[in-house]
Amino acid sequence: MLDWFDANLVTMVDGVAYGLLLFTLAVGLSLIFGMMDVLNLAHGTLYLIGAYAAYALSDGSWTGLLIALLVGVLAGVAGGGVLAALTQPLAQRGHLDQALLTLGIAFIASDIFSKIFGSEVLPISVPSQVAGSITVFGQVYPVYRLLFIAIAGGLAVMVYLLFERSSLGALVRATVADRDMVRASGVDTRIVMFGVFAFGAALAALGGVLGAPILAPGPSVDETVLVLSLVVVVVGGLGSVTGALLGALLIGQVQTLGVALMPVYAPFLIFGAMLLVLAWRPQGLMSLVARA
Amino acid sequence: MGAQISSMRRIAAGAVAATMLLAGCGGGLGSEAQTVEGPVKIGLLVPQSGVYKSLGDDMKNAWELYLDQHDGQLGGRDVETTLADEGEEASTGQAAAERLVNRENVLAVTGVVSSATMNGVADMFESSQIPLVGSNASPTTLTDVEYIWRTSYVNDEPGKALGEYVADKVDGSVYLLAADYQAGIDEVEGFKETFGPAGGETADEVYTPFPTTTNYQPFLAKIRQSDAKAAFTFYAGGAAVDFVKQFKAFGLDSQADLYSAGFLTEGGVLDAQGAAAEGVLTSMNYNHDLDNEINKEFVAAYEEAYDKKPTTYAMASYDAAKVLDMAIAEAGDDLTSTTLNEAIGGLGDIESPRGTWHFNDIGTPVQMWYLREVQKVDGGYSNVVIDELGTLG
Repeated sequence: MLDWFDANLVTMVDGVAYGLLLFTLAVGLSLIFGMMDVLNLAHGTLYLIGAYAAYALSDGSWTGLLIALLVGVLAGVAGGGVLAALTQPLAQRGHLDQALLTLGIAFIASDIFSKIFGSEVLPISVPSQVAGSITVFGQVYPVYRLLFIAIAGGLAVMVYLLFERSSLGALVRATVADRDMVRASGVDTRIVMFGVFAFGAALAALGGVLGAPILAPGPSVDETVLVLSLVVVVVGGLGSVTGALLGALLIGQVQTLGVALMPVYAPFLIFGAMLLVLAWRPQGLMSLVARA
Repeated sequence: MGAQISSMRRIAAGAVAATMLLAGCGGGLGSEAQTVEGPVKIGLLVPQSGVYKSLGDDMKNAWELYLDQHDGQLGGRDVETTLADEGEEASTGQAAAERLVNRENVLAVTGVVSSATMNGVADMFESSQIPLVGSNASPTTLTDVEYIWRTSYVNDEPGKALGEYVADKVDGSVYLLAADYQAGIDEVEGFKETFGPAGGETADEVYTPFPTTTNYQPFLAKIRQSDAKAAFTFYAGGAAVDFVKQFKAFGLDSQADLYSAGFLTEGGVLDAQGAAAEGVLTSMNYNHDLDNEINKEFVAAYEEAYDKKPTTYAMASYDAAKVLDMAIAEAGDDLTSTTLNEAIGGLGDIESPRGTWHFNDIGTPVQMWYLREVQKVDGGYSNVVIDELGTLG
C-alpha cells in the first residue's frame, strides 16, 4: 500500500494541478449557465485569449507574467461583457439559439487567432526561477506546476468565499434561485448577471494566462477545454462553486491517476466517470454537499 | 417566346449532357475527347483549417514555390491550381476531394495530409481514374492502387528505419508510446518489425488517446516505473510539443533516450519545444541540411520566400510538383488523366532535395533514411543529420 502511494503520489499531485486548471474554467461556465441560463460555448475562446496573452506578453520575467495577467483578465472581462450583451436578446429563445451564436463566435475567434498567431502550438516562457524541475517525493516535477497549484488553490478558496460566504455571493445565489423575487426586492438583476458573466469570463482568461505553460495555446485547444469544462459542470452540478471544484478535482484525478492505473482505458475514463456520477447522483456531486 | 427559349435550352442542355455522358464513357476507353488543351487544372487538397493547418501551409508554400520557379508551368503547360480545404476529418477531406474530381474536373490532384482522408478518397480516385500524387498521407494498407502515388513515404517506414539502430544502441529495454490513431499504430508496428529481430527488448507498448491527451504525466510516470533506457514514440503537431516539453520537465531525459519518427521535431513544433528537444533522435527521409546542390537551392529559395526552413512536408509537395512537371511533359500533346498516370508510372529516377529516388510498384518512394539529432545551432535548435539508416521502399 505504501509502495503504491510512493509510486503514484506525484501523479496525484499532478491531478490536483490539472483539476485546479479545470476549475478556473468550469466555475465560470457553471455560474453563467446556472445564473444567466446562457450556454456559453465560447468559453474555451476565453481560455485562449488568456493563453495567447501569456504567449505575447510573458517574456520569462515576473513583470512580464504580471502584465500578461492584467491584460488577460481585462480582455476576459471585455470578452465576457460582449458575450453577455450578445446573448441577452436571445434569452427568451432557448439554449439552441445561444449555443449557435456562441459557437459561431468561437469559430470566428479561432480563425482570427490562427490568422494572428499561426497554426502551431506556441511556447510559453515562465519566469526563470520557476522554469526548472525539482525532486518531489523522489520524483522529478516541474516547479511551475507547484506554483500553479498554490495560486489556483488560493483562487479557488477566494471564489468559494466570495460566492458562498459573502453577502455579494448571497445576492448572486438568490438570483440563481429566484430571479423575480430578487428583482421585486429592488435589485437590478441585469447588473448582477452581467457581473457574473464578466467574472466567469475573467476567471477563464486568468486560467488561460496561468495555465498556458501547462496547456499551451494552439488551434482546437479551445474545443478541448470547452469539452472538459462541460464534463466538469455535468459532474459537479450546475451553478455551484463547490460543485465545480469537486467536479474539477475528480476529473483531474481521473485524467492523471486513472490514466496511470488503466492506460488502456484512457479514452473512456473521463466519460465513464461522468456516466457513473450521472447514474449515482444525477444532480451532480454538489448534491452530496448540499444535503450535509 | 420565353417558354420556347427555355424549352430549347432544356433540349440543348439535354444534348450537352448526353454528349458529355458519351464522351465520359469514351474517355474511359481511351478516346481523345478529353485531351486537355491549353492550361491544365490541378487540385491542391490540403488542410486550410484545423490541427493539420501548418502541414497544409508548408505543402501549399512549396507547391507555389515550384510553380513560381517554373513560370507557373508544369511540363510546358500553364497551370491553374484549384485549392480545396481538407479540414481535419475524413468527411471534410472527402467532400473537398469530390468537389475537385466531380465539379472542378481537375486533371490530377496533389496534397492530402491525413491518412483517414486518404483511406476515404482512395476508391474515388481509382474509379474515376484521376491520378492523385499525394504528398503526405500514406497508410500501410494502401498497396493495391493504380492511380494513387505518394512522394512522401509509407506510414510505417520511419519506425522501420529506426528499429535495428535502436536495438543495437540501447543497453536495456525500450518503451513504446504513441498517439492512438492509425499513423501511431503503423509507426510502432513498423518499429517492432525491425526492432524485435535485431534483438531489441520491449518494456511496454502503450497508446495515448488522440487528440484528447494534453497531459502526459501519467504515461511518463509509467515509463519511469518501467526503468526503460529508451523510448520510441510517435507524436506530431501540438501533441509533439506537449510530449517533448513534459518528457524533459518530468526528468525522463536523464533516464531514457528519446527516439521517434521525425514528425516529433519537424518544422514549427521544434521552435515551440526549444531547449526541451535537445538531444531528441528522430528518423526522417529528409532534412534541410542534406548536402546536395538541389537541396541547397531549394532551401535557399524556400527561406527567401517564406522566411523558414523547409520541412519534409514541404519537400514532398515540391517533389509532387516535380513529378507532375516531368509526367505532363512526358504525356505531351495526348494529355489526359489516363496518359498522365501512365507517364508517372514510367518516370524512373527523380532528382530531389532529398537525393535521388524512384517510385516502387506500390507507388511510394524508394529512398534513403536519415538519423537526426536536435542540436543547438546558431542560438536556436535544429535537426542535424548524424547518420544514415539505409534505404527503404
